[in-house]
Amino acid sequence: MVSTTSTSERPAAQATTWTPARKRRLLKALATAFMLAYAIVTLFPFYVLFVRTFVSTKESVNLHLWIPRQEDISLDAEVGNLSVQYNLDLRKVKEDLGIKGYVNPRDSLRKVAEKHKVPLERMQQYFSGFGTFNGWITLLNNPAFWQSLVRTVIVTIVSIVGLCFLSILTGAGLAGLRRRYQMTIYNIYLLQMVIPTIMILIPQFLMVQGMQNLIPSADKPGYTRWAVQLIFLILIFIKGGALSTMVFTSAINQVPSELEESAVLDGASRWQYIWRILFPLLKVPIATVSVIMLPVFWNAFLEPFVYLDTANTTMLPVIANYSGAYAVNYQIIYTGVFVSVMPLLLVYLLLRKLFVRSVMAGAIKG
Amino acid sequence: MATTISPHRRSLERQRIRQDWLLLAPQLILFIGLTLVPFAVAFPVLFTDRLSFQDTSVDYIGTANFFRIFNDPSVQAEYFPALWRTIRFVALNYVMVFVFGLTLALLIYEVGFTGWFFTIVYLPMMLSGLATGYIAEMLFSRSTGTVNLMLREWFGITSPIDIKLPEGTTVLLPILIGWRYAGFNVAIFLAGLLSIPTDTIEAARVDGASYWQRLWKVYFPQMIPAFIIATIFCLIGSFGVFDELIALNALSSNNEAKLLSVTFFTYAFQSQRLALGLVLTLQTFLPLVAIAVLLQRLQRRLQY
Repeated sequence: MVSTTSTSERPAAQATTWTPARKRRLLKALATAFMLAYAIVTLFPFYVLFVRTFVSTKESVNLHLWIPRQEDISLDAEVGNLSVQYNLDLRKVKEDLGIKGYVNPRDSLRKVAEKHKVPLERMQQYFSGFGTFNGWITLLNNPAFWQSLVRTVIVTIVSIVGLCFLSILTGAGLAGLRRRYQMTIYNIYLLQMVIPTIMILIPQFLMVQGMQNLIPSADKPGYTRWAVQLIFLILIFIKGGALSTMVFTSAINQVPSELEESAVLDGASRWQYIWRILFPLLKVPIATVSVIMLPVFWNAFLEPFVYLDTANTTMLPVIANYSGAYAVNYQIIYTGVFVSVMPLLLVYLLLRKLFVRSVMAGAIKG
Repeated sequence: MATTISPHRRSLERQRIRQDWLLLAPQLILFIGLTLVPFAVAFPVLFTDRLSFQDTSVDYIGTANFFRIFNDPSVQAEYFPALWRTIRFVALNYVMVFVFGLTLALLIYEVGFTGWFFTIVYLPMMLSGLATGYIAEMLFSRSTGTVNLMLREWFGITSPIDIKLPEGTTVLLPILIGWRYAGFNVAIFLAGLLSIPTDTIEAARVDGASYWQRLWKVYFPQMIPAFIIATIFCLIGSFGVFDELIALNALSSNNEAKLLSVTFFTYAFQSQRLALGLVLTLQTFLPLVAIAVLLQRLQRRLQY
């Protein structure tokens, strides 16, 4: 990594007999080769993640760089072991196969089939590919996962819209930074950059919990409590910070003041000026803030983990919850991680030009 | 001054200030309420023996919590190993900012901005911290990590890299985090490089300065604001690292992944030592925040 730029430059210093054009071509080739290598190394973990969603825990001790052959469950496997290692949902199995009464977890599948008069072929068919697709089956059959996905989408969209709305107002109030209070408030927002999340978490939780306890019926599980929790999470996300304040303040500052003066002459109020005239001019800063904050909100783990009940949480805490106390079924976790990153990757690749432009714009502002 | 301004102008001015405050109020109330007020709310707790968020029998115990780090062996036994691990972790993370961010930024700057390459470099930023931790597990787990399996199958190397060993968390994780934040740091450094007036670079080139000389005498001195920004983000981000560690089982079995952030989290949320955890958090992070604020001031003075 480090060596590449230095080695790519060293021939330039030593091989003085080379013509500059040949040198430049060689350096260019070296740089391109390095960039390709870096691209492969970067994409490799994503590819492995995809493959590993099909590799069961049992198969994970063998190297798989392609989706493995379909793996069935032996009918001699114990039901209890299957629930631990493959997160087998016994209730659902009983329902699907029409089994009534008690199933001894120490019994093998074969024995269960005999006891409860399920044809062996039916049993075999039911569990065909159960190893290979265990992650996908378990995850997609879990209603809690789908609910968490919906919550993640809602929280992310509301937070981005809310953050942009509030930050535009802040930017309009701060633009110019001419007065002392404007400078002070600007500096207060910059504080966000230097406070570690974990440092603020405990005091913040102490306070938010106290506030939630003031709301009637938010102390016991129920829709009120869950709605209140989600609202507080969104409030934490849209409270603003260094990036949004810097980007909007400087963008609004660049708008010529004649625009506002002429709007005022035409009888527009400041509120009307902000939303009718200023807002359409702020496409670039809105894109910058949205594009940088999108992964932050979508991928937030600590805040939902702490502020939301398990029955009311977003995607990542649900995935983390699969690493249970006894045996960890990493296949499900990898599937969950893959599913959680896929929508974001798709958005990123579709809007890559916007992302690149916005990130560079954000970096220059900082 | 004031005498030359007509009463009408002054009332307009006052109206504008009032409007400013109305525009600023919604987000400012949220920001102060959720960032600064919590510290005020938590302040009295520092002087109590409050055990948990639900604790109702809270007694005032003075400043005893502040000295536990100096005189309580049970706290020291947890705090100092975690501090040492954290420092190693932060130091390596900081190295990775340059290994990935600066190197790639210089490469992109010299070769010319290519959209596809920056797209690739920024791609891992779409990963969550949790996903980064699980990917570390997936690639470098002792018996099931894909990289370890490749080493075994292809090169017959049977002594695997193990993410769960002490070196695992503090060495492998920073590499992965460096890879994940590469795009972020490249953007910062590239912005710094692009702000250098090209005539200074041309002048150095005409004078026959080697690349190495140009780097140290022309590029870096003019990139100091970018270096400072990258330093602040790395310092604050890596001291606060949490999600990656949770993926590596820091809250249950993996002691090597227990950095300070996890220690503070367990004090407050799991092991019934809320007040003490709060005190330790502030004792650790306040000096850090002070350094970061100073760096931020310095950066802004250099830039304008």
